Amino acid sequence: MSIVALGIIIAIKVVVILAIILGIGAYLTLVERKVAAHIQRRPGPMVVGWHGLLQPLADGIKLLTKEDILPSSANQVLYNLAIIMALVPASLVFAVVPFGPEIHVFGYDVKPILTDVNIGIIMAFAFGSLAVYGVALSGWASNSKYALIGALRKAGIIISYEVVITFAALGPIMLAKSLSTYDIVMAQIHQKVWYIFLQPISFVVFVFALLAETGRVPFDIQEAEAELVTGFTVEYGGMKFGLFPLVEWYVEVLSLSSILTVLYLGGWSPINIPFVGFVDPLFFLGPWSGFIWFIIKVTILFLLVLWLHWTLPRYRIDQITTIAWKVMLPLALFNILITAFIAPLLRG
Amino acid sequence: MIKKVFEKPLNFLETILFLDFIKGMSITIKQAFTKTITTHYPYEKLTPPKRFRGFFGHKTVNGLEPQPAFDEWVERMKIEPRPGQSRCVVCYLCKKACPVPDLFEIDGQKLENGKKVVSVFNMNLMLCTFCGLCVDACPVDCLFQSDIHETASFSRKDSILNLEKLEAIGKSWQDRREHEPDRIWIDDDARQALWRENKLNLKKVDNA
Amino acid sequence: MQASERTLNEIKAKLPYVEVKKDKLLSVVYVQKELLINTLKAIKEDFGFKLFIDHSVVDTLEAQNRFEAFYILYNVDTKERIVVKTRTEHSLPSAEKLWFAAKWAERECYDMFGINYEGHEHLVRAFMWDTYSHHPLRKDFPLQGYETVELPSLNETVFGDTLSGTMNYRRTHTYVPTLKDLEYTERNRIKKKAQVVLNWGPLHPGTHGTMWFLFDLEGERIVQTDVILGQLHRGVEKLAEHEPYQQFLVYTDRMDYISALCSNQAWTVAVERLLGIEDIVPLKAKYIRTMMSELQRINSHLLWLGTYALDLGALTIFLYAFKEREKIMDIIEGITGARLTISYTRIGGVRMDLPEGALEVIESFIKFFPKELKDWEKILSRNRIWVKRNKDVGVLSKEDIYFYGLTGAVARGSGVFYDIRKLEPYDAYSMVEFDVPLGENGDCYDRYLVRIEEMKQSIRIIEQCVQKLKTMSPNEPFMAESQDPKKLKLTLDGIGLKVPAGEIYSSGENPRGELGFYINSKGGLKPYRVKIRPGSFYNLCVYPHLMENRYVADAVTILASLDPVVGEVDR
Repeated sequence: MSIVALGIIIAIKVVVILAIILGIGAYLTLVERKVAAHIQRRPGPMVVGWHGLLQPLADGIKLLTKEDILPSSANQVLYNLAIIMALVPASLVFAVVPFGPEIHVFGYDVKPILTDVNIGIIMAFAFGSLAVYGVALSGWASNSKYALIGALRKAGIIISYEVVITFAALGPIMLAKSLSTYDIVMAQIHQKVWYIFLQPISFVVFVFALLAETGRVPFDIQEAEAELVTGFTVEYGGMKFGLFPLVEWYVEVLSLSSILTVLYLGGWSPINIPFVGFVDPLFFLGPWSGFIWFIIKVTILFLLVLWLHWTLPRYRIDQITTIAWKVMLPLALFNILITAFIAPLLRG
Repeated sequence: MIKKVFEKPLNFLETILFLDFIKGMSITIKQAFTKTITTHYPYEKLTPPKRFRGFFGHKTVNGLEPQPAFDEWVERMKIEPRPGQSRCVVCYLCKKACPVPDLFEIDGQKLENGKKVVSVFNMNLMLCTFCGLCVDACPVDCLFQSDIHETASFSRKDSILNLEKLEAIGKSWQDRREHEPDRIWIDDDARQALWRENKLNLKKVDNA
Repeated sequence: MQASERTLNEIKAKLPYVEVKKDKLLSVVYVQKELLINTLKAIKEDFGFKLFIDHSVVDTLEAQNRFEAFYILYNVDTKERIVVKTRTEHSLPSAEKLWFAAKWAERECYDMFGINYEGHEHLVRAFMWDTYSHHPLRKDFPLQGYETVELPSLNETVFGDTLSGTMNYRRTHTYVPTLKDLEYTERNRIKKKAQVVLNWGPLHPGTHGTMWFLFDLEGERIVQTDVILGQLHRGVEKLAEHEPYQQFLVYTDRMDYISALCSNQAWTVAVERLLGIEDIVPLKAKYIRTMMSELQRINSHLLWLGTYALDLGALTIFLYAFKEREKIMDIIEGITGARLTISYTRIGGVRMDLPEGALEVIESFIKFFPKELKDWEKILSRNRIWVKRNKDVGVLSKEDIYFYGLTGAVARGSGVFYDIRKLEPYDAYSMVEFDVPLGENGDCYDRYLVRIEEMKQSIRIIEQCVQKLKTMSPNEPFMAESQDPKKLKLTLDGIGLKVPAGEIYSSGENPRGELGFYINSKGGLKPYRVKIRPGSFYNLCVYPHLMENRYVADAVTILASLDPVVGEVDR
């Protein structure tokens, strides 16, 4: 493969992935609003387009045309930098997400993953941790007590749950004997088992850590509109305000759901019967069925997150960190202990 | 007489299986697949109940006045009743009953035959609390509250109801709703959006 | 119930320097100003009148000892109420050591009457800003205030509107607080104890209205809380002195605007008792009032539940509660004509009979509602997060209840049996069966359970009322007929309703606590002085105490579980 072709392929991948993230991210706002509305016995947006289908567009136009307000005593550089710091790391996680099996197009074998680095999982968590900078900077630069408290809360959560999420992910990594996201999925396919069946504790811990990292209920204390109004975004206006929830609630949820799918749900593999094999009702799609399975899994996870979000109350900051350090971390460590005994028994 | 309330803690199994979450989520998902209850205001509107206390109006003289109160008051106040126009007998009882009397501006006009008609009747609804005490006070069932509830206006002047506006509201009320029976509300589709799940069956009443 | 002859005699025997008087409506202990604190202490500690109900002042305009102060106290064990009165020229000893609630009441009297309280820890104005120079509830203060500030309208300055005609904007306005005044008021608060002061309010979603809290923060821990009230102060008590009895009803709507009907009922019952016509009010009116105010109680508790859950992050419950609330609103709208400011009761009855179909609708509502309530309980009551957020948060002991003068669901959450509907039944409450839920620990969770249970009990009451009302014919009267129409005029509009001279303290069980009316009538069309005992005001006064060493996140939990309404706090 020539350098040029490689470059073109990577460029196409970048464009496709960015388009997916930002396009879908925007439309997920509509999904969320619709889901929330129907749970609450409302129809949700109904006016712009058929069943509000153009609502994200209208929202975007509204947010973009709003006056750009800078708080008088805010630190202008940090204030704007915070938005970039929030958006970029969250999007970068997708660099290591394998969307499907290797496909053959135009005579090339293409892995639908931007970079199949051999430390993919570590990269994902590293970028996840970087997200705290955006929050912390926005809280500090806004020069508002509410924003500061919100940012501190979020920083506290991320620090606690980064540890938890990494230890939880150690289980699948030990089973797959690899840090590459692509190889973890391949390992699950070879071993004919989704790791959710071998790692139920770690799965639950990971799901809760996911909710905490993305600031979803029951861990949405950094927004907590009842006490902090909207926390660290309180001084932002227009599209600057719009970007934070977009990143936190949609892009991050998507990226972490993808990682979760990779680690526990066998990535693009079809329905699994543990240790027996895979059943693919979508076999007629040929090589493309993998992509559909991946999308289905992420969608289900996203809907689950929404479902939880619109049902549960939220924890208090001290309770969240208590749970992280006193319940979840010991559970994750215990899980590693068990995995250490299971891992050698697995073939592959 | 006394009922103690107390917490029912989760047991171990419920805790590790997240049964509390699952129960809650089963309810929200059940609600998600039930019909919505929204009235799409302003595309759909509820018909306010007949007793609704909205904008004021003056009922007009049309032969349906409460008798004998109307004739007595007409005689006492020396009023010339004019068919199709306000029943007001300029008795000032509404103003007296009002907690904010300033909002009324009432005046009568002497006619050549020595009788009187109402000439000024201004109500400044910026001050009004819509309590309905003035309606209770009206001895001839003239002043009443209609079902007009969209009362926003662009200037202060628009919120003053003068005699013409009051009469116009009164006339339209007499055409539209006066003959309705005294029911809690009209059980139409818009109302049913909310009440359907209660399986409410109000007796059908013809509005003729 | 008023304190019995026996109790008064015992007090007289123990404290020979007091004078006691008992009439049909009030049991009063008169005492010299110098001996006031001793008397209050003895009555509290030796005679068990532990629960502080209210304290205020009447401006008698007499040359000597112009102000008459009264303290209303309650004995929860013997169910007796007593009024302690004293006269003063301009100052009183502070009772803040005996009851914390008195501290707030005294601030209010200082604000409204200019009474100086000796020994008060922090005597600042309760509602007005600190640079305000008048005392509005004094009799020599005019109702419309002193209109000194010119406030030209935009129509005038921009469009050149001449503002002609009487029904236009008035240019002059009473003194309006400027930003400087507010800043001064804020600076004048308690000495701050921590570096970071968080301004929580006046406009903040968590405060459920316009309350202004100042949190001194140590990280997220709250070291000290201060409350600045008065953003919604409208001088309702002053207005009451200038309105006929029936017309003041309209203002009771606007105090606790979430449970307007209950306030209406409490006021009408108070006036009826003062008139002595409580017995001639038709049974039908009594049942209708009871039923409607129980509907209103559910309505109010639903708002509380919705916003409480919203504050704790359970966003969906809010809309579920509002769905059911909308139905109650529909019912109330269909029966009374208004949704929020209802003004439905009248002195001597109710405004209108029930319309056709009302009972059927209410029946279908009470059949469906318990199922919904059960569903919400499934989402919340045993949810581990909900329990964690509520359990052991904002714990109030029984002693706290008395010390802070707390009533309503807050008192019952701590296991104090204090429900006016049972202790001093008004309207049809003596004729219906219901239980009073009592909590054990007095934390937010217990208050939550108590309110949920109260809704169920309200359903029971409504059921009984509907059954009873079904048996009544539509022709039965809904307004009392006075035996001697020349002496006492009972009409729907209430024009010319004269009330004999006398005093009364009568209260109703509002969803937010005891709403009491102290009416001092000198005879005639208008009351001489009306003191409103707002449940929310006293329930709120425990808030700074509960917030000590709690986190910011608990601020919403505790505030919502106390459930104050600013309209009632500020009046």
